[in-house]
Amino acid sequence: MISLDRASLRYGPILGLSPTTFELPDGGGITGLLGPNGAGKSSLLQLLSGLLPPSGGEVRVFGEAPFRNATVLARLGLVPEGDRLPMGLRADRWLRMMGELSGLLGEALKSAVARALATVGMADRAHLTFARMSKGMRQRIRLAQALLHEPELLILDEPFNGLDPEARLTLIALLRDFAAKGTRILVSSHILGEIAQLTDRILLLFRGRLLAEGTVTEIRQLLDRHPVELRLTGAAQVLARWAVEQPELAALRMEEGAVVISVRSPRDILPRLQKAAAEGGIPLSALDPLDLNLDAVFQYLTKDHA
Amino acid sequence: MPIYAPTLPPAPDLHLGQPPALVIMRFDLTRLWRQKIGRFFGFAFLMMLLWKVARIYVDHLLQTNQAFKPMQEFAKTILTQGADFQADLLNPASYLLWFLVALIGGGLVARDTLYRVRPLMYAHPVAPKDYLLAKLGFASALPFAILLPFALLPWAMSLLLAGLHGPVWATAPLRLLPAMAVSSVLMGSVAVGASSMAATPRAGIGWVLGLVLGLGTLASMIHTLTGFRAVDGLNPVMLAEAWPQLLVGVDHPLVAWVPAILGTVLHIGLWTFVAARRTRPSEVVI
Repeated sequence: MISLDRASLRYGPILGLSPTTFELPDGGGITGLLGPNGAGKSSLLQLLSGLLPPSGGEVRVFGEAPFRNATVLARLGLVPEGDRLPMGLRADRWLRMMGELSGLLGEALKSAVARALATVGMADRAHLTFARMSKGMRQRIRLAQALLHEPELLILDEPFNGLDPEARLTLIALLRDFAAKGTRILVSSHILGEIAQLTDRILLLFRGRLLAEGTVTEIRQLLDRHPVELRLTGAAQVLARWAVEQPELAALRMEEGAVVISVRSPRDILPRLQKAAAEGGIPLSALDPLDLNLDAVFQYLTKDHA
Repeated sequence: MPIYAPTLPPAPDLHLGQPPALVIMRFDLTRLWRQKIGRFFGFAFLMMLLWKVARIYVDHLLQTNQAFKPMQEFAKTILTQGADFQADLLNPASYLLWFLVALIGGGLVARDTLYRVRPLMYAHPVAPKDYLLAKLGFASALPFAILLPFALLPWAMSLLLAGLHGPVWATAPLRLLPAMAVSSVLMGSVAVGASSMAATPRAGIGWVLGLVLGLGTLASMIHTLTGFRAVDGLNPVMLAEAWPQLLVGVDHPLVAWVPAILGTVLHIGLWTFVAARRTRPSEVVI
């Protein structure tokens, strides 16, 4: 569905995105585009949504270059960053114009607007002007705008910015629902928690470079320089004695009622740990991986490339 | 067993719509309609139009009613006649029309800049040239639509009352309509070009008025200092007034043919170029 082959983007002398290569397959699913501010997330989304041509390399969406390509643009929906909408305008009128720009007319347009509004739960409030809507309501209308023509690819640039927790949860549920129905969704964010709640598959950008691609577990396994930290809760002394005999151990520290071990290949040590616990060899009451989450992966990657 | 992605529902037919430029123009028109900005201007233009039509009727009375015979000569000295009269059908609306174009045209592109509408539009099957065409088309169609009754209503009245011998030439629309078209495109391109340089609608209005009045003042100063009349071709207000005069063949038009053509081409070309540059996708995403 999406493929980048050494695609880069320059804003004059500033490099917005270094030559980047990756592919996203066909079919539904959510991919999180993660990175701090200025990482190049918006640049990448602008390339994919056909707003800008790549300065180098090649961008392909649905097998074609998206820049000024009406065939591609008709199959994707974009929710750009920000909350600026013409405040005096009614949401339904705004949606009708956007629908017409997507090539809808008459009954098809009317039913598309009604369907999109119902999907985002705004059918009874679409007659309001944007000025009379909350931020969450406006974000739903922006999402409805992108859904009018039933896109196969939905691109959202920082969609959670400024939303309250309830609106975030609603939006996350909506996006999961679309993905389950077969829409490919690309969501950018600089907030790890949002992406972690939404998806496990990420593209991690930092300073205009694609640092990693895949699921959190896949990426974590590639970070050889950072052994995985496991907290073993139980009789700390016995657990520590067992741990120091393991060849994968890189580091160990004692905590109250627990021992935290750093191991290079958790896949090898975990079966032995399981076996020892099952046989009563070690008094293990809990096992917590401390840095197998997105937060840790992000920290390690950005620190390594800083 | 492999897991397949769910099949998407059939996509809607996306080839029913109108050209994007037309959709954007229609949207701007309905937005303008709802703003009710036209009440004051509608009243002012209506009064001017009534005066024009009344003038035709007065002329008819002077020609046909014996009681007004003694006033005929006096009327000729105070009322414009011949080619001047034909050109004058469009001119009184000039400054007011420029003000209206600034008020509406100034926000046309600037409003979209403020609300970041263009990235959204360009993410639809809308090319930058569609957008520019829509804005230029709307900003030019507005003065043209306002001037249309000024050209046609007195002409129809004159034909109705006095036939081919009325004060308005039977062929006047053939000269006035092209003049209106040129003046309207000039007004539209200046307004859109100026609006594209602004970040808010109010700033856009300021830009249009600043450009129009500033260029007028500059041209007037150079004219006064050097005595070089052709420099008036830089003044957009004078250019818009000069085209009806040139096309109906007034003896002493405000701007001569060559400076009028050069000035008009310069303004339309320059401001369209500015608007095209400022509404490029690379400008709108930053």
